Amino acid sequence: MSLVKLNKKKGVFAALFTAILIGGAALSGYAANYIPTGRDTKLPPEKVSYDIVNLDRYELLYETEDIAYYFREDRDVIAVYDKRNEYVWKTGADLAFSSDINDAIDAAKTEEELLAAAEPKEKSLNTTYTGIANSLITVEYYESDTVKYISSASKENATSTLYTLNNNPATRCLDVAFDKLDLQIKVYITFTEDSITYDIPYEEISGQGKYQMASIWVTPFLGASGGMAQYYDVETGEYGDAVSKYMVPGYVLVPDGCGGLIRFADNEAAFTEYIGDVYGSDLSTEPYYYSYLSDVVPLKNPVLPVFGVAHGDRQAAFVAYAQSGAEYMDIIVRPEENKKVLYTWAYPRFEYNTSYFQVYNKQGAGFFSRMEEPQHVDISMTYTFLAGDGTDGRSHAADYTGMAVTYREHLIEQGVLSVREQTSGTMPIRIDFMMADSKSGLLGTEQVVVTDTDGVDKILAQLLDDGVTNINSGLIGWQKNGETLTRPDKAKYSGSIGTKKDFTGLIEKYQELGVDISYARETSTINKKMTNYFGTAAKHVNTWYIYLSKEWILPENAPVLQFSYATAEKVAEWTEKLVEKTGKAGDSFTFSGISNVLTGTYDRSGVATSVTDAISIYQDTMAKLHEDVKLNLVNPNMYLWQYTDRYLQMPVGTSQYVFETDTVPFLQMVLYGTMEMYAPYSNFSFYTQSDILKMIDYNMSPSFILSEEPSYLLADTASADLYSTEFAQYEEMIVSIYGKVNEILSQTKGYSWTDRTVLENGVICNTYEKDGDTFCIIINYTENSYNYSGTSVDGLTAKIIR
Amino acid sequence: MKGEKTMKKCRQTALLLLTAAVVFTSSLFGGVPQKAMASQATSYTYTLDENGYFVRTQDAYLTDKTITDLGLSGPQDLFIDKDNMLFIADTGNKRIVKYSIRTGEVIGELQYEGFKTPRGIFVTEEGDIYVADSGAKTVFRFSKDFELKESFGKPNTPLFSDTNFEPNKIAVDKSGNMYIIGEGVYSGVIQLAHTGEFLGYFTVNKTTLTFSQALQQLLFTREQLANVTDVVPTTFSNVFLDDAGIVYTTTMGNWKNAVKKHNTSGGNMFKETVYSVGEAVADIYVDRQGIIYSCSATGYIDVHSKHGELIFSFGSSISNMDVAGLYSSLPAIAVDMDGNIWTIDGDKGYVSSFRPTDYAKTVYGSMDLYEQGRYEESLVQWNEVLKLNQMSVLAHNGVGKAYFHAGHYEEAMEHFEVAGNRTYYSEAFWEVRNVAIQKVLPYVFIAGVILLIIAKVVSFLDRKKQRIKGLKQHVSNRVAEIPVLKDFQYAAKICKSPMNRYYDIRRHRKGSVGGATAIYIVFFIVYMLYQTSKGFIYQYVAIEDMDIGGIVAGFFVLLGLFIFCNWLVTSIQDGDGTLAQVYMIPAYGSLPLLVSMIAITVCSYGMTYNESFLLTIILLVGIVWSVILIFLGFMTVHDYSAKENTMSILLTVVFMIIAAVMVLIIAIMWEELYEFLYTIGQEVLRNVLG
Repeated sequence: MSLVKLNKKKGVFAALFTAILIGGAALSGYAANYIPTGRDTKLPPEKVSYDIVNLDRYELLYETEDIAYYFREDRDVIAVYDKRNEYVWKTGADLAFSSDINDAIDAAKTEEELLAAAEPKEKSLNTTYTGIANSLITVEYYESDTVKYISSASKENATSTLYTLNNNPATRCLDVAFDKLDLQIKVYITFTEDSITYDIPYEEISGQGKYQMASIWVTPFLGASGGMAQYYDVETGEYGDAVSKYMVPGYVLVPDGCGGLIRFADNEAAFTEYIGDVYGSDLSTEPYYYSYLSDVVPLKNPVLPVFGVAHGDRQAAFVAYAQSGAEYMDIIVRPEENKKVLYTWAYPRFEYNTSYFQVYNKQGAGFFSRMEEPQHVDISMTYTFLAGDGTDGRSHAADYTGMAVTYREHLIEQGVLSVREQTSGTMPIRIDFMMADSKSGLLGTEQVVVTDTDGVDKILAQLLDDGVTNINSGLIGWQKNGETLTRPDKAKYSGSIGTKKDFTGLIEKYQELGVDISYARETSTINKKMTNYFGTAAKHVNTWYIYLSKEWILPENAPVLQFSYATAEKVAEWTEKLVEKTGKAGDSFTFSGISNVLTGTYDRSGVATSVTDAISIYQDTMAKLHEDVKLNLVNPNMYLWQYTDRYLQMPVGTSQYVFETDTVPFLQMVLYGTMEMYAPYSNFSFYTQSDILKMIDYNMSPSFILSEEPSYLLADTASADLYSTEFAQYEEMIVSIYGKVNEILSQTKGYSWTDRTVLENGVICNTYEKDGDTFCIIINYTENSYNYSGTSVDGLTAKIIR
Repeated sequence: MKGEKTMKKCRQTALLLLTAAVVFTSSLFGGVPQKAMASQATSYTYTLDENGYFVRTQDAYLTDKTITDLGLSGPQDLFIDKDNMLFIADTGNKRIVKYSIRTGEVIGELQYEGFKTPRGIFVTEEGDIYVADSGAKTVFRFSKDFELKESFGKPNTPLFSDTNFEPNKIAVDKSGNMYIIGEGVYSGVIQLAHTGEFLGYFTVNKTTLTFSQALQQLLFTREQLANVTDVVPTTFSNVFLDDAGIVYTTTMGNWKNAVKKHNTSGGNMFKETVYSVGEAVADIYVDRQGIIYSCSATGYIDVHSKHGELIFSFGSSISNMDVAGLYSSLPAIAVDMDGNIWTIDGDKGYVSSFRPTDYAKTVYGSMDLYEQGRYEESLVQWNEVLKLNQMSVLAHNGVGKAYFHAGHYEEAMEHFEVAGNRTYYSEAFWEVRNVAIQKVLPYVFIAGVILLIIAKVVSFLDRKKQRIKGLKQHVSNRVAEIPVLKDFQYAAKICKSPMNRYYDIRRHRKGSVGGATAIYIVFFIVYMLYQTSKGFIYQYVAIEDMDIGGIVAGFFVLLGLFIFCNWLVTSIQDGDGTLAQVYMIPAYGSLPLLVSMIAITVCSYGMTYNESFLLTIILLVGIVWSVILIFLGFMTVHDYSAKENTMSILLTVVFMIIAAVMVLIIAIMWEELYEFLYTIGQEVLRNVLG
């Protein structure tokens, strides 16, 4: 291509490239104070001040070396007294109903009784919400067309009994009966050394109310902060004006992207809530069977079923995770002022039933309906409590780093993760290749090839020559007609991209040079030009095929604009077939789709494949494949981590809700050392010096997607979003970015990432440790230099300090 | 062409916006695999491609700060002064908030008992704060210390007597003249002197009539027109004055020319159409470099160059979630001294800012260098932009123009081609061709002279034996024996003397159905080449954008219909021609058009826009010649007079229309039936078998 030559001629200007773009920020701005945004991690919250809580009205249930568990029968509240720091957590807000207070005051005969009766009156909670605030579980249910709430601690219509199981004080059962709904739920509670687990088996939910039930929330007010109350004035004998309660400093950790913090604050505005739909939404149970991709960047779905709350600065925290039912779980955080509730509260919501639009004609007319059979959700939620800064060895640090380590240890224990031996050496880099896609042509569609096997060969050879050696690669769009129009299992080759021999030759040649080249394939998204939908496309609960329109984000002359998703069975079948047909070439295989799209399918009689089934189908497939090849998965959900060798396109930010105050590398800290972690493609707005620092901070290898020909050739294909991929434009940037990341991160190999702290706004310290050898990496996102124990770290650089 | 496409896209934008709003939540939660997931922004950044369609580009701005704790209620306007102080018209709370961007603190609060709905704000270089209050029907002027200096009510001149004075927005020039957007004022931007005296309307939007309105104006009586709603100009939504005193306005309800840059007499300085995303352009701001930032109430932010080209568009609308950089309503925009964009959400009361990425800064930097005439330097920067987005039309145009000015025309052409900039491509090509012609011309001249001499010499030597003539005759005779070529040879003869040659057809002496078919096929191939393969300057539509099926079907269906209908018509009108002859006539008559299309296709590679009239002439000659030939052909085979022939052709056209309508009706019925059966089939597959 002559343009290539043209740009190559401009070699004289090449040196300016890095200076202008990568150092651009340094040149343009003035050196002002670094004002952090929601994309940074800010300084830790203030210390929480607390008194020893009086637990007189509570009954001791179980006690361990670190924790004593208490229960208050009338309000269904479990109190967790942490002996390590004398901090008390309560599963509910432990509030009296206003009317009960009034009754008690009226009934009080002595002043002593009066004082005991005159509890503070909560201002922002009505009777229903007071019940929810206290409750161990809350049920969301349908009553005609509206959704209502009833909780285990409701003033009326709910009774609950706690009893011991097998004479073991550590195992209890809360039997909750919602008489009005004819619904009985058993909550099994297990206390361990430092955690509580709640199990709610689906089989043991009984009564007709089961069919009205929309969801169950578990301990919605555990860790909540805020509130406003009126206090009884002994002198006047009346309640005074409402005053704000002590706002516990701290935050909620949400698994939004890489991890976000929502700090407790007295908000001026009524925010909407954060809803993290774990593993992405099940499109088969969304209200509508169709959806559109718009010009809004999609929200980041949690890939792991975890959240946590920290109170104070490394003083008290808990991390909560689902061991079962995660695929039906939403993590919900309601910031203060949301729905006029003056608390920030966070809880898991498990969905049993949903209201969906049943379409009955082609024009799309229809009505709202509900599933006849609820989703079979077996809830198991574990809450592990953390205390202190983690130095006493009794707990990990009571902040997001400690939560990450705790959850990581849990996954290692479960066999999901295993720490891999890391030998010293260079950091890996991911170089994916876009090979081909199709555009509309004179007769039907026309293949557009932007990289053939020779191109891949040339580019890799050039990179090896440039000193970038630890490469692994995925080939995207290698099949005949490219990525979009070819069914995932078809192993048809096209001479203009490369014959099977060409591919095998290429893969083997580079295998010897230590470069792992793999076939890459998206497995879940289908379209009518690729395959017949009959028997392949997943169906919505209303029995229509799930429909996804990309007409908003694709060029209007692209060969296809409407898409659907294949059923889990087909995805698994195609994936296995593809590996079989390509003869397991190379050391690894690269998949997207199967890695992070989770959808059930329905037929006339109800659920055909539930998301739980889909998970086990995918796990079986991946387990089988993993016996022979390494698996590189794009943003995989937690249930596939056991089989993941390389985590591609790892999120580096959150969805940026305005109330998300910080971004933290929670996901990265959970997975560090158990698999290789790769940043999103640097081609697309992830190439600046701050972005390079983020890779170092979050311990991720860089990745690029390249083509030999200019990317504008793809402008009329469904891959038009790859607007900048030509190798000639990126060679220098790859060498430069890789050099900077590798220089620092290669030295962390074999070490554990033990801590991450904010020294001042924009300056991060990551601590690594191996056999007592500790060092720290200072990442300075600011434009000013930072002095760390006598060593100066220049603005916008990172440095290892031993 | 480009304009139409952009408009189409903009219309789609509006439609899709509505749809998107309805089904938004589901789209956001879709666990959809994305190839390019890195975006740290919350909405994609778009720019225009060479055909005027929106395409994704590198993020131009990232969300920076979102300030939610100012307690704003329905804020309507923003202004940033030279000291980076942000003034917010907090309309619902009847106050002006002064916020320091550098320190992140509220510096002061301007509350005044006379405020009712302060909607517009402007701060002069001296620090005077002008507040437009539509409820109070007054413009207030405060000192920088928040002391009221003056207030301006409705001008009492008779010229203004019938007009509402409810100031919504305001801008003030260096001499204190005020430019005011009044609620429900159709006459234009109200201009007041610093004394408050009414100076007139600065500029007015032209009224544009829809087709039906134009028809009404033409046909209706005065009485009828009186009953029709008045056609009034669209009202302005905002006004801005840049450092140089240039006035900018925005107009609601348009995606075309909603942003205007005015000369001193109020005229629009933008020559080309200026496009905006969304139809609700609400506010405008212009920075020191002349870059124009505008926002649409639906949540989109557009950045235009000082010449009105769309550089970036980003942002989006969202109502049920609080995500930074997405809006439930976006009434105001301002830009601080560091190039950060500041916006407010009119419903939620948040102030949020965006900072430009290095990519955007490089784009602005290169534009600035180019404007200053520093072409070499701008070239370096534009090339950096191209590295990050090879599809950037702006960058290709920038590089092309820089090369053009530096005299590197061939390089310039490559970039103009990618940018789809035919005008500049043509100019660059003219230069390249000029050089080539100058280089080649002497040789061509010498070669021509030599050939001429040789020809003369040969013909002189051959004058007795006439071998050349014999050879020509021989070749001609041999060609007459080759099936397809023979027909073309015959068609060529028709061009020269149509009457005689068509008479041969009439007498069944010459011409064959096979031959005519061959000509039709060749004609079709040439036609397709003409449609799809002209030189870049003249090839307006790319093949992938063409409706090839439509062209093919249109060509054969129209031709077939014409032949068949003509045969039917002439059969009942005593025409002598048979169906086969009717089939042959257009084929043999089409040669001039065929040749002209070949000529145009070939010439289009060597001609610039300056010579486009030549191509038009060639095409016209081809068409007219072919039409005459075909006309004469029918006259001959049917043995008609010119009048009869004209009548029969007109009748043929009428028949064609009738036939087309019938076919259409039948097709629609069949389609309905097919749809019905198909739907049942689908239903069975999905619900019974599936």
